[in-house]
Amino acid sequence: MIEWLGMPVGASAHAVEVDRLMALVHWLMLVMFVGWSTYFTYVLVRFRRGRNPRASYHGVRSRWSTWAEAGVLVSEVVLLVFFAIPFWSRQVDALPAEQGSTVVRVVAEQFAWNVHYPGPDGVFGRTSSDLVSADNPLGLDRRDPAGRDDLTLVNELNLPVGRPAIIWLSTKDVIHSFALPQMRVKQDAIPGVLQPVWFTPSETGQWEIVCAQLCGLAHFRMRGIYRIQTPDEFQAWLAEEAKYLPAY
Amino acid sequence: MAGPSPWATHLSHAGPCSLAALRTAWLRYPNLLRRYLFSTDHKVIGLQYAFTSLFFLLVGFSLAVLIRWQQAYAGQPLPLLTLLVGEVNAPGGIMLPEFYNQLGAMHGTIMVFLGVVPLAVGAFGNYLVPLQIGAPDMAFPRLNLASYWFYAAGGVVMLASFFVPGGAAMSGWTSYPPLADFAPQGQTWWLAGMLLLVLSSLLGAVNFITTIVQLRAPGMTWFRLPFFVWTQLITSFLLLLAFPALQAAAILQGMDRLAGTSFFLPSGLMVGGQAVDVAGGGSALLWQHLFWFLAHPEVYVLVLPAMGIVAEIIANNSRKPVFGYRLMVYSIFVLGFLSFTVWAHHMYLTGMGTTISAIFQATTMIISIPSVIVLSALVLSLHGGSIRFNTPMLFALAFLPMFGIGGLTGLPLGLAATDIPLHDTNYVVGHFHYLVAPGTIFALFAGIYHWFPKITGRMMNETLGRLHFAGSLVTMNLIFFPMLMQGMAGVNRRLWDGGAIYQHAEPVLYLNVPMAHAAFGLALVQVFFIVNLFMSLKGGRRVTANPWEATTLEWAAPTPPRAHGNFDELPRVYRGPYEYSVPGMDVDFLPQHVPDAKAGA
Amino acid sequence: MTIRLLTRLATMAVCTAAVACGGGAPQDQAATPAAPTAAADTRPVAELGNSTVSGVITFEGAVPAPRPVRMSSDPGCLPAGEGATSEALMVAEGGGLQNVFVYVKDGLGDARFPVSTTPVILDQDGCRYTPHVLGAQVGQPVEIRNSDRTLHNVHTTPATNRGFNFGQPAGVPAVTRTFDAPEVMVPFKCDVHPWMSAYLGIVPHPFFAVSAADGRFEIPRLPAGTYTLEAWHEELGVQTMQITVDGTSPAEAAFTFKPAS
Repeated sequence: MIEWLGMPVGASAHAVEVDRLMALVHWLMLVMFVGWSTYFTYVLVRFRRGRNPRASYHGVRSRWSTWAEAGVLVSEVVLLVFFAIPFWSRQVDALPAEQGSTVVRVVAEQFAWNVHYPGPDGVFGRTSSDLVSADNPLGLDRRDPAGRDDLTLVNELNLPVGRPAIIWLSTKDVIHSFALPQMRVKQDAIPGVLQPVWFTPSETGQWEIVCAQLCGLAHFRMRGIYRIQTPDEFQAWLAEEAKYLPAY
Repeated sequence: MAGPSPWATHLSHAGPCSLAALRTAWLRYPNLLRRYLFSTDHKVIGLQYAFTSLFFLLVGFSLAVLIRWQQAYAGQPLPLLTLLVGEVNAPGGIMLPEFYNQLGAMHGTIMVFLGVVPLAVGAFGNYLVPLQIGAPDMAFPRLNLASYWFYAAGGVVMLASFFVPGGAAMSGWTSYPPLADFAPQGQTWWLAGMLLLVLSSLLGAVNFITTIVQLRAPGMTWFRLPFFVWTQLITSFLLLLAFPALQAAAILQGMDRLAGTSFFLPSGLMVGGQAVDVAGGGSALLWQHLFWFLAHPEVYVLVLPAMGIVAEIIANNSRKPVFGYRLMVYSIFVLGFLSFTVWAHHMYLTGMGTTISAIFQATTMIISIPSVIVLSALVLSLHGGSIRFNTPMLFALAFLPMFGIGGLTGLPLGLAATDIPLHDTNYVVGHFHYLVAPGTIFALFAGIYHWFPKITGRMMNETLGRLHFAGSLVTMNLIFFPMLMQGMAGVNRRLWDGGAIYQHAEPVLYLNVPMAHAAFGLALVQVFFIVNLFMSLKGGRRVTANPWEATTLEWAAPTPPRAHGNFDELPRVYRGPYEYSVPGMDVDFLPQHVPDAKAGA
Repeated sequence: MTIRLLTRLATMAVCTAAVACGGGAPQDQAATPAAPTAAADTRPVAELGNSTVSGVITFEGAVPAPRPVRMSSDPGCLPAGEGATSEALMVAEGGGLQNVFVYVKDGLGDARFPVSTTPVILDQDGCRYTPHVLGAQVGQPVEIRNSDRTLHNVHTTPATNRGFNFGQPAGVPAVTRTFDAPEVMVPFKCDVHPWMSAYLGIVPHPFFAVSAADGRFEIPRLPAGTYTLEAWHEELGVQTMQITVDGTSPAEAAFTFKPAS
């Protein structure tokens, strides 16, 4: 069913669950629509004026439609109670431990994704709006000892495969929505809110970060690139990026 | 620099002509304006609503054609476009992204608030409710008049906003702050227009409720009301209770923009690298709650009158009572109540926890049940009927599967987990367009074809009607089904280039082209309707008061119904609304107003 | 019958509505005040002189290493943008400092000078603004071009002039804007490419220049008088000096900037 729906490849641990529910829901929709349309077509043909010149005052008397409706209700309850709600509580409420995860800050702005890695010390440096400039869109204080080794990038996010990734999402100006279609991740970035979103990439590859919420005139091209790398590639990339750090 | 937009040139020429025309009209026909422009007769007001809202539907649809064209051929110069929308909006034939965003925001606003709802409630409700309940007019005729003129003023403000510096509102029809707070002044016009439209709707709602409660003809008990009247009653309650939330929100946003408040602006915002000089401390999410508290019930405002029209037409053309009349009435009661409890399913991805999301997922699933019941009842009504396939019936029948697709595609959006990949994609756009375009708008077309003979005493042309129907059905599906496919592939909505920049959109990007062509096709097919509408006014076949052999009270009135009073003498009601094919009778319909003695076998 | 009258009236109503919106809606865009001040100005046009003030702007201290600008965030800017460096602090071998805006800040009194109708050109090329620093007279047209095959948005954040923010998709004709108040400097920014910035100095006379790659600048045709010259640099701040010219012979002026501490 999933191939048939034409979704992008699912490359995170929880994508399997999302896709399974997506397939189930669409099966339910298909069954309902086909069953219902068949009956509809039958009625139109069978009870056309030419075939049935005199209508029946009473029409249908059987209760099978009630059973069909009950069936719909039960299916919906099953989808909700056994799939949708448990999924949400696992994936949204339960944040994994930062140790053992890759922790990244992503700060959205019109029209770019600023990506902030804490560096080898694992601590994000201080940021301040006073320090924001074209060269330093995050306003990172490089004098802060914790900030010296921090990596900052624009529209580029690299993550190692197989390790939970925690993204602390925020925005500088308007509402954006941080979407990684292949990770089955989409999270609004709301001004004034620091929102975590997490997932475990399960396949390597290079895809695109999408802005999914209208954010202004260049919304359509607020695109970033994200790469899911092997742990070795990721470490090598971090080392390479560190060369760009300003010297202090 | 660019000269004034061609729109403006055109408009400025209209100046002296219309003032002079108005003056001449006033002198030549002293009572004309009072009788036809400022009339308090519900039928005249209904027709004013009808013509105005049809005009706005055309405007809103034209914007959509531009949107579809742009998505298919983004960035390719089309000199005609500059002629159409001006150098300011499309220099060198290339549509600017800021104008594209105006098209999106205004298409939504115009279609919902100036097109569909005024046609469904203002026009159909106004014209039919007093007739169907056997009343001489609405309870408050002057309020009715005021309601129309507030609506017209709101429409003028919305249209005018295209011509103000910076153009019309461009932050989506949802106007989410902070984006809308920072938008050019067109957004302020949008807010002012909304306030007028809200006022109009509130006045109308009070009027409908009072009319239906107070002015029913003798014998018209609650459960003898035509289903259409029930849908108008519930709709009025929804408007009355939901719109104040948007009214408050619009005032707050207006203050953010004009008075320096920051209801929707948190502290510490930086736009374009510069700190925003506001007090801060507000909440961007507050707007979304207020907006969707209106906008979700608004969905049912769009849907309920359509269900009412379809029920009337199906009963009439299948020549039998609707299935489960009382069940349908109870269902729309439940629908009305529940529609106030589901708004946050538009906000699953704003950072909602499990508890809240579970509550809104549950209410969303529950609300699907009464919808399924009403839809099933309408289909089951056909069972055992003797179905006439005339134009109104074709539109009403097509409403059922099209509305069905719209409803079913709501399921994966209503479950938070499957909403993750689909949220804000074209899947959402396809979903609600199936509900509103081949859904509600088909029902409205059905209603126009069905009641036209009552209003004018003439039939609309059947051949043109069928062409209009078949063409609209095919082209609408060609536009909206590919949206579902694109959305599933992850293509987002509101993209100037239709998604061309994204790799994951590549497999379904080609669909933008047939969608654009189908949109043009849909526009062409509407010519059948427009020609039919105006030609039939003069040339349609003349008919008697009850050409469809219907049972409800509007067909008991003369054709057209009497100005100020409707009926020759006020009717008495003896039975329910859909007494078709009553066993033991020669004729297959038994009107509500015919006494039992006369209805003899 | 009723319907006919109604349609006629509806047409009239649309006409009336059209007057309402046509009349109340100025057509031109907000940020294009088409030099209204110039039209209303009744002051006599002052004579230009023949003194040319020129000089070199130097950066004192070690020549800083060029700072890399990474354009990888938009693959559309590559490979042209590969290896690009920041234009904020550009020092030549001999210490000449580029991109300094020099202008007569004071001393011209209330004199009015002819406004050039030749547009100042600000191009967007290779995901950079060219030039990075430029000047224009109040009321002089500024032509903003996009030579790239990608979308830029032109976002200004002036303090006194009216700002604007518009998109320029690839292929659209250049946009011309004017500014109606003196302002040093009006920042330009592209929000799609955060490294893109430009600074436009708006002055009420033609006596301004931007230092070249070797730090040289030249302000021609000054009339006789004593003036305050100001030199502005985006990172190193401003410096002023007094200068007196006789209106016929050239004069020298030099500024030295020190690294920001």
